Amino acid sequence: MSIGVQTKNVVYDANPAEGFAMLKRAGFSCADFSLNAYLLNTSLYQFERNDFFSRSDTELEAFFKPHKDAAKAAGIWINQMHMPYPNYVPGAGRELNDYLWQVVAPKSMRICAYFGCRSIVMHGFKLAYHLGTEEAEWEQTAAFLDFLAPMAKEMGITICIENLYNGIGGHLVEGPCCNARKAVSRIDYFNDKYRAEVLGFCFDTGHANLIGLDFEAFLTTLDYRLKTLHIHDNDGIQDLHQIPYTFTKTRENTASTDWEGFINGLSRIRYDGVLSFETAPVLTAFPDEMKEEALRLIAKIGKYFEKEIKQ
Amino acid sequence: MVVSCFPTGTVNLTYPGQGVADLYNAGFQNIIFDINMCCSGNDLENFGKQRDVVSNGIKVLENPKKVCQYFEHFLQRVREKQICLPVAYAPYFMRNTKRTDLIGCWIHMVEECIHLCGKNGCQYLIVRPIFTGIESGKEWERNRDFYLYLADIAKVYHIMLLLENQCRDMGGHLVRGICAEGSEAAEWVDKLNAECGEERFGFCMDSGICNICGQNMYEMARILGKRLKMVILRDCDGHRESAMLPFTCAYQRQSQTDWLSLIRGLREIGFDGHLALNMIDTAAAFSPLLRPQLFTMAKSVADYFKWQIEIESNLRKYPNRVLFGAGNMCRNYMKCYGEKYPPLFTCDNNKALWETSFCGLEVKSPEALRELPADCAIFLCNIYYREIEQQLRDMGIKNPIMYFNDEYMPSFHFRKNKF
Repeated sequence: MSIGVQTKNVVYDANPAEGFAMLKRAGFSCADFSLNAYLLNTSLYQFERNDFFSRSDTELEAFFKPHKDAAKAAGIWINQMHMPYPNYVPGAGRELNDYLWQVVAPKSMRICAYFGCRSIVMHGFKLAYHLGTEEAEWEQTAAFLDFLAPMAKEMGITICIENLYNGIGGHLVEGPCCNARKAVSRIDYFNDKYRAEVLGFCFDTGHANLIGLDFEAFLTTLDYRLKTLHIHDNDGIQDLHQIPYTFTKTRENTASTDWEGFINGLSRIRYDGVLSFETAPVLTAFPDEMKEEALRLIAKIGKYFEKEIKQ
Repeated sequence: MVVSCFPTGTVNLTYPGQGVADLYNAGFQNIIFDINMCCSGNDLENFGKQRDVVSNGIKVLENPKKVCQYFEHFLQRVREKQICLPVAYAPYFMRNTKRTDLIGCWIHMVEECIHLCGKNGCQYLIVRPIFTGIESGKEWERNRDFYLYLADIAKVYHIMLLLENQCRDMGGHLVRGICAEGSEAAEWVDKLNAECGEERFGFCMDSGICNICGQNMYEMARILGKRLKMVILRDCDGHRESAMLPFTCAYQRQSQTDWLSLIRGLREIGFDGHLALNMIDTAAAFSPLLRPQLFTMAKSVADYFKWQIEIESNLRKYPNRVLFGAGNMCRNYMKCYGEKYPPLFTCDNNKALWETSFCGLEVKSPEALRELPADCAIFLCNIYYREIEQQLRDMGIKNPIMYFNDEYMPSFHFRKNKF
């Protein structure tokens, strides 16, 4: 079992070697490459995009060569990356959505392959409000996956769907992929269809906590289909991406996130993948000079999880 | 569908006259027999602890057979007003209780509740599961025995026991608990009924708990289907377990509860059970001087939910129908119901639209409504309902006039770019 963390807010384009070296010093051996940082969701929801992904494959590989080399030199394995999201923007014009589908997604897959990364996390389409049912929403995500799956098979990549949330009046409620049983049957369907492990699951602890999912039951149901993790904590109200064990809500000051269920679930399914933290916002909250210490704490929590899971 | 209201927090068991009258005067002919009014979670929590004043709840726990005494005045007032008590709610523990020592005493209390319900004509009794002191994964085994034990007593009175979706307390954060997932809830009800050899168990879906757990209520209702006998309507901020009047917990001009998914789900399964309004926090917070007006509003809200849920069954009632209005609401009607319940035509006050076609419907002058067969209903697809209804009645039209509404449609108009 290895410990990983997002590259966002640590690894910068100007000097990726410095960031990867810091991750290694802090105790990480893996990284979740934040490809989504190159095309922000905040822009996409404003129907805006940049031209980063319009570069040719050769240009993109040249752009990411320093990152790849620096990770290798530091002894960091890019085990997972995050595809830009959303992949479909309701209300946006055809041009933007075609671009996300035809350009951003396939190029993300190729960048993933270039890094030698085996898992890419993808957000399902958020369309239940418009289409009426979660099934109708999944049909659209499935069509997108059918487009990407042959590429995934050829490149040896597993696309990981992630449990997401929606917002209603500022209250975060369940979104795509929050039903473990459905996720299992859908993953099995795709993998049977393509005769390869083209689809897996990324369990996001923070998103699960927002909607009070039973961590242990969810992870146990997923079983071996769990390929990646987004480990982070919140207050159960907002998607804060903070360090595990941060939040308490009572005078007894016990954790208000079910970390015991998380450990039990991973232990029961004998998870041996990467314990990957999605805690980039922590690094902007702490002063710069404490960044490495903050990362060290995160890595130590990862080591603690590892010990408990193996027991 | 039966609409009812929780009396808790506004009806005083010692002096119940005014509270019961307020509910009755607002139009509630059914109220929930909430036995927690005399024995609350707080009473259970404090049972056996040294107290200067011993509450009725504690006295009841000391001698559950006397529970009926505390409801004498309440039941008398209810009978006087001819109010029905179709559903009762057994006492329950606080979410964060650790009082495993009280389980036996509490089970005895629930047994007495069944007797009390039986003697007062209740059809259903909501009984929460045992959750404290149970090892994770053993919830079903423990509760199976408990519920089957109760079923034998409930059978004598022809009472159906309703399970309810629960949340659990995780260091002050309420997360999904027993039967929170629709699939688990359906399994529990089916397994219990199979063991009973009859339909002795059903389900009550608490929208407040679904909201706290951020759940898609459409999915929950669809999975439960006919097992769903009762829905509790209550609003909250999605984090704290309060019971507010629906639509009152709003932020940035939006409700914080996903009423759309609830209505979509209940409409799809043709829900025809009990719809109970639980707004005990809102009601208790209002001055007693304002409660009559509040309950009148609450009754309108409950009736509105009933009407929204029954929109499709109202369409089904009439062999023929026409629409009034050739705008977005008409478009939404045609998208969601046009095929299943095709209108003969639509009409509009806008002369420019007459003799044109809209969403495949001929648009006519309102004068065309004079020629309708008597069994044809007019569905108004325009928010100026009352004004248009008056216009048609002034024209002398005798056909049934119904309101259509597209606030909570099974799906919305959506221009897909691709797929």
